[in-house]
Amino acid sequence: MLIETCILVGLLVAVAVYLILQPGFVRILFGFVLLSNAINLLVLLASGEPRGRKVPIVGDAVGGLPPVDPLPQALVLTAIVIGFGVIAYLVVLLYRTFLDQGTADAEELFADAPGREPAAPKAPTQEAGR
Amino acid sequence: MNNLAVMPVIVPALAGVVGLFWWRCGTARRVAFALVGLAQLVLALVLVDSARTHGPAVLGVGGWAAPYGIAIIVDRLSAIMLTLGAITALASMLYGFAQQPVRFEHPLRLPLVQFLVAGISLSFATADLFNLFVAFEVMLIASYALLTLEADDRDVKHALPYLTVNLVGGALFLGAAGLAYGLFGTLNFAGIAARAVEMSGDPRVMAWAVLLLTVFAIKAGVFPLYYWLPNAYPILPAPVAALYSGMLTKVGVYVLLRACGTLLPHDLTGLHAALAWLAGLTMILGVLGAVSRNFIRGILSFHILSQIGFMVLAIGFFTEYAVAAAVFYIVHHIIVKSSLFMAGGVVGVLNRSDDLDRSANLWRTMPVVGLLFLLPALSLAGLPPLSGFWGKYMIVVEGVRQGQWVLVVLSLVASVLTLFSMLKIWNTSFWAEDPSVPVRRDDGRWRGMAAVTGGMVVLSLAIGLGAAPFMDLAFETAREVLDQEGYVRLVLGAAGEAVAAP
Repeated sequence: MLIETCILVGLLVAVAVYLILQPGFVRILFGFVLLSNAINLLVLLASGEPRGRKVPIVGDAVGGLPPVDPLPQALVLTAIVIGFGVIAYLVVLLYRTFLDQGTADAEELFADAPGREPAAPKAPTQEAGR
Repeated sequence: MNNLAVMPVIVPALAGVVGLFWWRCGTARRVAFALVGLAQLVLALVLVDSARTHGPAVLGVGGWAAPYGIAIIVDRLSAIMLTLGAITALASMLYGFAQQPVRFEHPLRLPLVQFLVAGISLSFATADLFNLFVAFEVMLIASYALLTLEADDRDVKHALPYLTVNLVGGALFLGAAGLAYGLFGTLNFAGIAARAVEMSGDPRVMAWAVLLLTVFAIKAGVFPLYYWLPNAYPILPAPVAALYSGMLTKVGVYVLLRACGTLLPHDLTGLHAALAWLAGLTMILGVLGAVSRNFIRGILSFHILSQIGFMVLAIGFFTEYAVAAAVFYIVHHIIVKSSLFMAGGVVGVLNRSDDLDRSANLWRTMPVVGLLFLLPALSLAGLPPLSGFWGKYMIVVEGVRQGQWVLVVLSLVASVLTLFSMLKIWNTSFWAEDPSVPVRRDDGRWRGMAAVTGGMVVLSLAIGLGAAPFMDLAFETAREVLDQEGYVRLVLGAAGEAVAAP
């Protein structure tokens, strides 16, 4: 069980890294979704081999088996919630960028003078006058 | 007394929630938020005093003792960082009030700043690796929201690289936390430290340490993981940029220091050397980036990186003297960097732009503003007797002592280039006279903004001219940070007592 999960984590991370290295931000988004799933599985691995162990619920006696370590499951639960929120935010930000710029491709987005004064014409008056 | 340790997290979190419901912007709301900021500052100062006189405050959250529950520990380093966070947050809010008339205020900005402060404070106070991950995410989510909240359509794309890099960093951190639980069977800092020392020499510890330090290096903006920062910060409104530049990367430096001093075994010399060399590269590449930029916020954003290099270099040298230098440097840098961003904002209001091509005449018409820029700028470059000098001096002395000549030369070159790029701003925005560039003295906002900036500059002057007490505190802090056994005894020992008590 552990070895299979390890291989799965490795596979997911490989695909995620490939996607994150692509120029399109939509692919980066999918890469991140895969990466967070891979990492969640990795954290789950820390509870050890689940076979021969019972679910960690107090008072649930299944033939006197020892319970699995519940802590990594609690960690993963927290991480899933956080990851979900961040992905939702990233989707909305991508959508806004796409509406404004008509593209979500990094090379096209940052084609104009890379790294030069992003906000130079914006005087603080506009900032205050919004 | 120990319950006080968690208050720097609870106060801003509650204030943020209340702020979400108190939607109507007005003077009363501003006063309330300023009072919350002041309360945080007082709280943090009380914690510094208590950490100095009674030792670190240890709190097992919910009454669960240290190896099982989440521990909150405020020792000297945490308390100092909490104080700096409170100062920067308060100054940033006041500066924002001066810069923006209340009718233009975005109702989400102040609550988001409070959530950001809550995340920052939790990162400083927590003594549990997974809790640190949660604190990072709280801080980062608030920072994403603030970054895009008031950015205009043209700029918002610069949030994407910031987001992507930090998301990957967050995922790696989660992986590091999971691996720590698998390796050491605990997430508590003290527990990990105790087990890691026992397992010293195990290659898995080394691999895990590299993963952890990579994550923290992304947060701190160490070469080659820094490019998310210098393009993202300039899209922020000036008051928020002052807070970000002061605090966010310094959270990364703090956790690097915490990880090297408290979590990891002290004999990973290869790792420390790698950290020092990466810091040297960060220093020099950051300042070269700054020289290449042509608007004040862009120059200052790159300087953050260069300065991060100095702090990480001190951590990489890893002696008590060097760590004391790092602590002093952090204290100096947070104040000076924030005040420089604030001074840049004042230039932006007076000249209607902080682009160096469209900014001039300020020294002749506004010598006060000139001083507000010049003093922190020279301090950043490290001229004596300003606050930047002492930290740099100690780092260079430690470098010479260890015979790291290349790194010493790199740091000196970086200092000279810092001075050069600061003079570039000085020569155009302040010194040059260009009749076509208007100076809008009639815009009354600059007075309030300059007053807040002045407060920060006075603070930085005080740190520089009265360096001795700060230096004592820095040395005490360095001793405490490097005393790994004492930390373990404090946390796990205190836990033993808590278990024994009914």
